[in-house]
Amino acid sequence: MTHLLEIRNVSRRFGGVQAVGDVTAHVDEGELVGLIGPNGAGKTTLFNLISGFTPLSGGSVAFAGRTISGLKPNQVARLGISRTFQNLRVFPNMSVFDNVSVGAVGALPQGAFGALFGGFHKGGRNRSAEISRRSWEALEAVGLTHVAAELAANLPYGQRKYLEIARALAMRPRFLILDEPAAGLNDTETRDLAAFIKRLHGQGLTIMLVEHDMTLVMGICQRILVLASGRKIADGAPDAIRSDAAVLEAYLGVDE
Amino acid sequence: MNAFETVAPTDGLSRRRSWLVPALILLLVFAALPALLAGFDRGYFYQIANLALIFVLLSASMHLVTGVAGLLHLGHAAFYGVGAYTAALLTSKLGLGFTVTLPLSGLVAALVAFLVALPTMRLVSIYFAVATLAIGQMLYLVMLNWVDFTKGPNGIIVSKGFELFGVSLSGRLAAYYTVAAVVTLSVVAIGRLSHSYYGNALRSIREDDQCADAMGVSTVRLKMEAFTLSAFFAGVAGSLWAHMTGYISPGDFKFSESILILAMVVVGGLGSLPGAVIGALLLILLPEGLRALGDFRNIMVGLVMFLSILLLPKGLLGEVSALRLVRRQLGAAWRNTGPGTGKGEGIGWR
Repeated sequence: MTHLLEIRNVSRRFGGVQAVGDVTAHVDEGELVGLIGPNGAGKTTLFNLISGFTPLSGGSVAFAGRTISGLKPNQVARLGISRTFQNLRVFPNMSVFDNVSVGAVGALPQGAFGALFGGFHKGGRNRSAEISRRSWEALEAVGLTHVAAELAANLPYGQRKYLEIARALAMRPRFLILDEPAAGLNDTETRDLAAFIKRLHGQGLTIMLVEHDMTLVMGICQRILVLASGRKIADGAPDAIRSDAAVLEAYLGVDE
Repeated sequence: MNAFETVAPTDGLSRRRSWLVPALILLLVFAALPALLAGFDRGYFYQIANLALIFVLLSASMHLVTGVAGLLHLGHAAFYGVGAYTAALLTSKLGLGFTVTLPLSGLVAALVAFLVALPTMRLVSIYFAVATLAIGQMLYLVMLNWVDFTKGPNGIIVSKGFELFGVSLSGRLAAYYTVAAVVTLSVVAIGRLSHSYYGNALRSIREDDQCADAMGVSTVRLKMEAFTLSAFFAGVAGSLWAHMTGYISPGDFKFSESILILAMVVVGGLGSLPGAVIGALLLILLPEGLRALGDFRNIMVGLVMFLSILLLPKGLLGEVSALRLVRRQLGAAWRNTGPGTGKGEGIGWR
């Protein structure tokens, strides 16, 4: 069986800085994979390379057997890869429902023609109803239906985090990438989030997350990739990672 | 499966009594106002009413591109001009009537917009604004200087008034009804575009275009569409103007007209269609009421815009603060989005 996501010898240079160098990794359907590494290890860059935000300097990325390197972010997204951002990016001047509907309409585009005349034929009405249904389902999944009409900017930080995830879920992705979902959350909130991510995973969604919170990553991930200085230094089950010499060295340094 | 009821995507979650306000507006535009105009029976009042309606359409079309999609457009009046010149030239050179020139004016304006959008759409924020300013000026200069074709500063006399499939509608009341019907239909169409999931996708570009991209929204394509559609409606407004006044000249489509339309959208509130309509009415009717002030009327536009930005950051009904939108766009021009994120970074390309 081929892997859902295959990263082959991927590298990315920014001027003289090798942000990601020759990383090969994969994610299988149904996995929950963690990506960790010290600051500046290239985790977010790797996410940007997968989602099409940053062009590759070398290597290739394939998703569901199809090469996706070189595609635009919106093309990658429509193939079923959905992401959240490290620095929370909701659409502040839009309602919570409208925010989520963008995810749904991104995956199920409604064109200008559909907006103008969709109400007059069955196909158009069905499309609108489906977008609305997916949006509500995503809001329901994160428990934000009660604030659907609220402006996103007015939501407290924690709820905006869930809103961003709901927007990604409304795309009905096959593969969800979460970039530091627990950043800025307190312990209780982080525990709730961990339970939530596990629940999503339990429903069959393939997830990859970057996280600094080790208890979160170790607690829920089945497999962990470790990056340091742009290179993959370890790949294995949480227990193996915890005792891996290279990982300890990267995080703690070694006496010389 | 009744857990998820369908809702209107943008405005609130309940649609109760949503027919009441539109019904009142229709009553006003198609019954009360014409009755009043007929009662006074002065050409000047008809003129003002038609002018206000045409600017309502211009403001509404700009709402689509600037208010909803968040593209600062400084050359809108030029597309209005392209529409007007299309109508005038088709009438004077080929003898075509309003029934034909109306859609053609829209289409030609949209085509011109599409062509100029091809190279400019990838420009970021403030660079896009400057490009639209330049496009507006170029189109204006073509109207002014291509004397063989456009008669230059002399302008063109449009000998035919309104008609529908040969039936003349050039009487005062008939002309008013024609303008009102075309404007109303167009505004309804713009309303459908902006209050739909399509409109939400456009809004997401205004809010954060990179993030919209990650959500599967094809940002460049949608920007093109918003720009082209808004030019189409500006072209339609141009055709109305040409047949209404019977004479057009380049002066009607100068940069200051673009700014006037922008002021309407900003005063009404970026992102709000009712706001754009109210802004247009305000900035057309207020100066007419202040005719006694003479040339000082022109200062009014700037003053109203200045005060509204200062005192009503979001305009009367807006979704976004105009100042914040502009500031963000200025910021985006030289904001470092990460070291070496792409070619030509920092010079306004994306």
